[in-house]
Amino acid sequence: MPPQSVPLLRLSKLTKKFGAIRAVWNVDLEISRGDVLAIFGPNGAGKTTLLRVIASLTQPTSGKMAFAFKGHNQRRDGVGYVSHLSLLYNELTGIENLLFYARLYQIKDAQQRAGEMLTEMGLEEARNQPTGEYSRGMKQRLTLARALLHEPQLLLLDEPYTGLDQHGSRLFTEVLRGLKQEGRTILLVTHNLGEGLELCNRVIIQNRGEVVFQAPREHVDPSGFERLYFQAVEEGGRRR
Amino acid sequence: MDWLLIPLYLLMVAALYGALLYAPTESEMGEVQRIFYFHMGAAWNAFLAFFGVFLGGFLYLFTRKQSWDRLAASCAEIGVVFTTIVLLSGSVWARPIWNTWLAWGDPRVMTTMVLWLIYVAYFLLRSSLPEGEMKYKYCAVFGIIGFLDVPIVWVSIRWWRTIHPVVITSSGAQLEPEMIHALIVSVIAMTVLGVTLVMLRMAMRLNNSMAEELVQELVERA
Amino acid sequence: MNAITLIWTLVAKDLKIEWRSRQALLTTVFFALLILVVFNFAFDPGSPATREAAPGILWVALLFPGIIQVNRSFQIEMEEGTLYGLILSPVDRGILFLGKFLANWLFLMVVDLVVLFLFLIFYNFSLSLQVLWIALLVVLSGFGFAAVGTLFGAMVSNIRTREVLLPILLFPIILPIILPAVNATQEVLLFQEIQSLNRSVGFLVCFDVIYVAAGFLLFDYVVSD
Repeated sequence: MPPQSVPLLRLSKLTKKFGAIRAVWNVDLEISRGDVLAIFGPNGAGKTTLLRVIASLTQPTSGKMAFAFKGHNQRRDGVGYVSHLSLLYNELTGIENLLFYARLYQIKDAQQRAGEMLTEMGLEEARNQPTGEYSRGMKQRLTLARALLHEPQLLLLDEPYTGLDQHGSRLFTEVLRGLKQEGRTILLVTHNLGEGLELCNRVIIQNRGEVVFQAPREHVDPSGFERLYFQAVEEGGRRR
Repeated sequence: MDWLLIPLYLLMVAALYGALLYAPTESEMGEVQRIFYFHMGAAWNAFLAFFGVFLGGFLYLFTRKQSWDRLAASCAEIGVVFTTIVLLSGSVWARPIWNTWLAWGDPRVMTTMVLWLIYVAYFLLRSSLPEGEMKYKYCAVFGIIGFLDVPIVWVSIRWWRTIHPVVITSSGAQLEPEMIHALIVSVIAMTVLGVTLVMLRMAMRLNNSMAEELVQELVERA
Repeated sequence: MNAITLIWTLVAKDLKIEWRSRQALLTTVFFALLILVVFNFAFDPGSPATREAAPGILWVALLFPGIIQVNRSFQIEMEEGTLYGLILSPVDRGILFLGKFLANWLFLMVVDLVVLFLFLIFYNFSLSLQVLWIALLVVLSGFGFAAVGTLFGAMVSNIRTREVLLPILLFPIILPIILPAVNATQEVLLFQEIQSLNRSVGFLVCFDVIYVAAGFLLFDYVVSD
């Protein structure tokens, strides 16, 4: 057991309602630095909403969120967010997109940093191409680059594998693996049980807004996980 | 708010009596002028309700308490009804006297028309949004912008339309004392009516909201 | 990096995008031109009655490109969810508003001044220096329109009925611009008189200040969920 330290993120009884609809319900969660948390769950489980609340794209209805960021003044500085929407301007080139966001985040030497990230993602060649012309895989890598520009301490990924073919998925996983090795804290929402399990060190399953299953990766048997998943989802539904 | 109902009933009866029987017939305009007693009350309430929409929205943005949004929405409902009454009663009154349905050029008429448009826009905005914080926030913002707009509209009409002789002078010749009594009673009665209706609608909204929560609970349990 | 640089970054971004997808701008200008032609058919430009109504026609014609532009500026942000990109950043939402608002105003000016030029030609008004006063009115009213339009444009960006809802929300609010604008345009075009412009200009400036401030303060509520 590592020495007790303040978790990077602690959610206490976090709830988000849209009118009477419970998107996220009573979620208790602790994320430590370096955790890679895979979040599984059926459509409409509230996984996207959960991530959006953490990213402060939306305010929780009740409950608490406590961040222990080092040094950053604002929460928005410490979080990087990737969703299946690319958050890129189709008419701008790869480098222009990154430069724009670098400036928005007031990063020093924005030009240099943007160029670096572009190269790191293997997109040097498409540097001056409008991102509208990028393949899905290229877009996802650039989106990830955008999210990493300001060196966020917490990286949120919402179904980043959507629309990626086998090759693209492999590449993306490689990039994520690299980030994991760097010690980044990652929350990954995905339908892709295989890739998710490979990367993570903790697993949760969300259904109907609630966390119905939580375990460290070691306690999960990958071959039996699919069965466990369906069980947890059904049981979670029946439990109430 | 049941305690309001009896005074309200009494006030309305008094107002009707005052307007239709007690007040003398106006010399120039005849019986049709009696509309004026309710026209004024409705007009006052139409604008008061709009203040309610503004206040409810503003306080919702500050406190995020849904009860303020209920106030705003209920005021909007009552307000739009009163505004419609003002426009209709004004037209009915204007036609036989001044031979026109709507007195364009009178700042009060045009401002009321714009108020009506803003109310309706408010409702259309409300109905195109699903329940939730976003809806209440957006409606609050629109309510605030609309409220800022009304005096601006008034000024713009006053300065740039009322160059032509104003067709309708205020309410008519001198008001005899009985008329003033009737007017006061009528305005008070209608204000109490407005307030009662708003409170009723707020209570209904609260009940709706609670019922929806219960339904959601049951759905979750199933 | 201060606010001015941030605002410039935002405006430059929109300018670049607009320049690269030029046809959008051209389409808006063409649409405005069509509106003028429709009015030409509806009201005979030769008759003296139309000449008196012409100032009104100009300002009605200017409303449509305005709505289109303000709608479009947020459609761009919805395409790939870039609006979220903006909200996620640490930039103050008021600054985001100013960036969008100024970009909208700039495009509006380009389109509006083309419309003004075409209008003067269609309705046979001389292109004298007096016309600069009308251009001033267009510029001033453009600020107010762009401010409220940007605020509401953001609001309706994720509503399905936005195309029809945006004018319903916007028009009642910008009505008070029309009276001084039309009146002042009349004075200039028909009577060659510019004394009375003081009031109109003053009024429009007040309108602009109030609504730019309102937009700046309220934008946060409209983009954050």
